[in-house]
Amino acid sequence: MLPQHMKKAITDNPKKLANLIDLVNLPSTLREFVGQSQISRLGCFMRVWSYIKTNNLQDPKNKNLVNCDEKLRSILLGKHQVELAELPSLIKLHFPKEPK
Amino acid sequence: MGKVPPSLRSAIATTLMKKQSSSLIPKESTTTTPPHNPQHFPRKPTTRKTKSHDSPQTQTQIQTLFKSPNLSDAKKLFNSIISTNPKFPLDLRFHNSLLQSYSSISTVQDSISLLNHMIKSHPSFSPDRSTFHILLSQSCKAPDPSLSSVHQALNLMLNHGFAPDKVTADIAIRSLCLSGRVDQAVELVKEFSSKHSVPDTYTYNFIIKHLCKARSLSLIDDFIEEMRDNFDLKPDLVTYTILIDNVCNMKNLREATRLVKVLKKEGFKPDCFVYNTIMKGYCMLSNGSEAIGVYNEMKEEGVEPDLVTYNTLIFGLSKSGRVKEAKKILRVMTEKGHFPDTVTYTSLMNGLCREGDALGALALLEEMEVRGCSPNSCTYSTLLHGLCKARLLEKAKELYGVMKAGDMKLETAAYATFVRALCREGRIAEAYEVFDYAVESKSLTDVAAYSTLESTLKWVKKAKEQGNII
Repeated sequence: MLPQHMKKAITDNPKKLANLIDLVNLPSTLREFVGQSQISRLGCFMRVWSYIKTNNLQDPKNKNLVNCDEKLRSILLGKHQVELAELPSLIKLHFPKEPK
Repeated sequence: MGKVPPSLRSAIATTLMKKQSSSLIPKESTTTTPPHNPQHFPRKPTTRKTKSHDSPQTQTQIQTLFKSPNLSDAKKLFNSIISTNPKFPLDLRFHNSLLQSYSSISTVQDSISLLNHMIKSHPSFSPDRSTFHILLSQSCKAPDPSLSSVHQALNLMLNHGFAPDKVTADIAIRSLCLSGRVDQAVELVKEFSSKHSVPDTYTYNFIIKHLCKARSLSLIDDFIEEMRDNFDLKPDLVTYTILIDNVCNMKNLREATRLVKVLKKEGFKPDCFVYNTIMKGYCMLSNGSEAIGVYNEMKEEGVEPDLVTYNTLIFGLSKSGRVKEAKKILRVMTEKGHFPDTVTYTSLMNGLCREGDALGALALLEEMEVRGCSPNSCTYSTLLHGLCKARLLEKAKELYGVMKAGDMKLETAAYATFVRALCREGRIAEAYEVFDYAVESKSLTDVAAYSTLESTLKWVKKAKEQGNII
């Protein structure tokens, strides 16, 4: 079953976990949005998602779409509308892999 | 799915260490565990320590008294209580509970000083064994790599004329084990055995249980051998059950079979608990035939199966895809006068879902409710998982609504399957909502919930690109 494999992969792979929960120094665009200089990728996702919820930015006709406001546009490549499905990958762009 | 229901997994824990494990196990399992064989599991009054001496009233009053671990503050407080509260009965209990309260926040040294202060300012107060046991249990919990503070407490006790006895040993060993200092506990057991008295079987089994959790088999064998050779302390049937449970959990059934032979050679007759444990071992390996083999052996040996036996068997058969036989066992157990409980039905539902008969499992939910057996979150998670697998997403949504209304936790597998099913249908927003619920209800950690969501979205995107999903 896939889910259990995935769970195992997460727990077995400390690097992947670290990539998710380590605090990272943020670039200036993101710093303005989250209001702090360091955040983890997971924390950032939670912040953006709750921002979308509190400001009712989901498209009323199709909840899978997010209509970005100015603030959100600044961190999501300037797009006017994004799909919820691509949210994690868009946020990931701000957290580049560290060169070995 | 494929997970052992908690009540099966902890069959041993509940019977051997009720006190410790009660918080880990959902209520159902404690009620389903059959009445324990009094021969093996009498409650031991001595292990309750001195806490139980306090009347609940004074204890709650006193527990909030000490706020700072500072010794001089504590002394001052003690003096002021003595002078201003003539209502308190100034007896042993009172002093003990004061000391107990202070020891929970202070260091061993300070507690000893406070005790000395009490003795000095109150000559009528003479500490007894229980007073020193408070200090002892505190010293065992102290983060100290050596046993020096434990020795200090023991010496203090000796100086006041109390030779450490079996109760002392039991308190020290339990406290050490529970604070994760198993190696020191082993050291102390040996020391106690040579200097004072050999610990009793309860202490012995407790330490074995903790050794099983953290140490290798060979180390446990060495310890058992040493205790047998040097102090004539032999493992009993409970010890063997713990050992068998341990190897079964490591899926080492060959060793389990060997241990059964050993215990028979030692003159013990395997009881229901031993058989249940071995059966659980086979069930975890999805080996239904061997589980039935154990069941048949029980019948041959004249050991009466209990509710746990039947539940284990039904679980194992369901897991290895033999639902028909599992249903037969259900009939047998009802005929024998056992009432099938939540675990029984959940196991059966698991089996039905595995066969793809999620609707049959849903029908079983109604049946169990009619019979007055209430489903728990594990039941619902199993069903949710099964419904998603059977592509009955609407029914799954409905069930999820019920779970949410009842504040039930989602299990990892059920959560992942449900999120996957929603994403596959393109209902991303709903998947996000489930993610929120999983985080809010603390069903999963944020990390686990998010990683599942992230990898699912990735997987859906890939599948779309390859044209697997329209």
